[in-house]
Amino acid sequence: MASYSSRVRGDIERWAASGLIDASTAATLRRDVEASDRRSLSFGSVLAMMAALLFGAAILIFVAANWEAIPRLARVCALFAVIFVGYVGGAVVKSRGHPAIGEALWIVAAAAFGGGIALVGQMYHLAGDESSAVLTWCAGTALAAAALRSNPLTVAAAGIADGWLVMSLVGGFRLFAETAFPHLFVAVAVALFVLSYWTRSVVTRHLILLSLIAYAGLFAMDHDVLQVSFALAAVSVALFAAAVLAPEPVEGIARLGGRLPLHALIGFLTGMAMIQFTFADETGTGGGFAAASAVALAGIAAAVVLAGRESRGLRWIAYLGFAFELVVIYLVTMQSMLGTAGFFLTAAIILAILAFAIIRIERRWAAPVAKGA
Amino acid sequence: MTGRKLIASAVVLALLQIGFLGWIIAGRAAILRGGTEVLLKVEPVDPRDLLRGDYVFLSYEISRLPASLIANIPADRASSADGPVTVRLGKDADGYWRARTAWLGKAPTPAAGGEVDIVGHLSAGWTFAPDTTLSADYGIERFYLPEGEGLAIEQDMRVRPFGVRVAVANDGRAQIKGLMDGDRMLFEEPLY
Repeated sequence: MASYSSRVRGDIERWAASGLIDASTAATLRRDVEASDRRSLSFGSVLAMMAALLFGAAILIFVAANWEAIPRLARVCALFAVIFVGYVGGAVVKSRGHPAIGEALWIVAAAAFGGGIALVGQMYHLAGDESSAVLTWCAGTALAAAALRSNPLTVAAAGIADGWLVMSLVGGFRLFAETAFPHLFVAVAVALFVLSYWTRSVVTRHLILLSLIAYAGLFAMDHDVLQVSFALAAVSVALFAAAVLAPEPVEGIARLGGRLPLHALIGFLTGMAMIQFTFADETGTGGGFAAASAVALAGIAAAVVLAGRESRGLRWIAYLGFAFELVVIYLVTMQSMLGTAGFFLTAAIILAILAFAIIRIERRWAAPVAKGA
Repeated sequence: MTGRKLIASAVVLALLQIGFLGWIIAGRAAILRGGTEVLLKVEPVDPRDLLRGDYVFLSYEISRLPASLIANIPADRASSADGPVTVRLGKDADGYWRARTAWLGKAPTPAAGGEVDIVGHLSAGWTFAPDTTLSADYGIERFYLPEGEGLAIEQDMRVRPFGVRVAVANDGRAQIKGLMDGDRMLFEEPLY
């Protein structure tokens, strides 16, 4: 596969040089070859990426072991060498038509950069600011992604940002922490989202949208602020409406492979769940919980009606959300009245209803497709 | 992106990242080389886990600052805001350096001969009542050890006084130079 695309690329160069095709056609053809190359995620490239991740982990753990048998300066030089050979070697390999190996080498180099930051901290006993160390690593990886226009490096940068968010929330960064909520994550997420257009990384956009939903949910939970949950649900509804009413222009902007409604539904359900939890905690405002639950169920139904036909994934998220809603509603309203046996009985009935509904819906929408095929 | 351009940007990128790391190393080595050396006393903190992964946690005498030491407490504030604190150190007869005065923010006058200003960080929320102590950190609260050597040192630190030799740059940034078990040097840091 790789050899074919590299041969075509060589041909394009030759045609362009001999004036058979003009520069813009050559560029279009090259992009097309690259795009179809990208789509063919072969077994080999998956293994190469896994090897790169293991290699990167080995580097990081080796630094942490602080092994004295090798002088520090030698360790620093070795990491510098891995960074250089990883980035430059990866670029050489990729331009020779082995993109998977090239990208894997870049991941190793990015890990070595992170290892370098950790090693410097260890060499000089730097205390405290691990948070900014991880952010520096994230920025370095994002810079690498931009410079090399690399999809995996963009995903890696988003992954590091997610790790930073989790670590800041768990409070692993500071010994005596009064942890402020890491709002910086939003800025990082936006920057990486913009970057993902340049590096053509759909995976990054998916990851960031899900991370932002998780961030908003955690923020609402942490601060007990209803406004955030409302905002999350409202923004999700707006995005869903936009994606369903004007699919083409929205897809043109978001470029998520038509999966924006899925994210919007997940965001909506997360926001509504947060609202429900808030109301469920406050005794005496049962009306609020009932209203929120009704809105959540109506939203699920609306999502299935409006966009369920096109997307199997969306239907499954809707089913999961529906099951979740039933359990939440049951737990909040009935738990004080029924015993364990009653819970199991109800759960059985709920599952039976759910199974019946899913089978009906799936069959109804499977039929026209079968006819068409 | 064509081959040559890709390789060129990879070279620039690699040099940038290596240069960034080298720049931090050079800055730290400069403090070690040119900073004023002071000896700080390590205090045994409460009997709990000092060993965290690959380093021991160090708490110094100067980590706890009596509020009465701070010369410029603003009249309209009852507790500290998040920000830097400058502590002026002087050498005592036993060889350890201790806090003489401290200021929130910068020191109003340069340190006299025989004194050194170290800049720490004070987090928000410490009360300024006269008989309280505030907790400051200086970025030197960790000592990374080779794997497996942490437990013994952690135990010794509970029973004997330990000291840390610290280099303090002119701008107040501190850098650990060596870990002392009483008078015995356990680890001495090379420049690089």
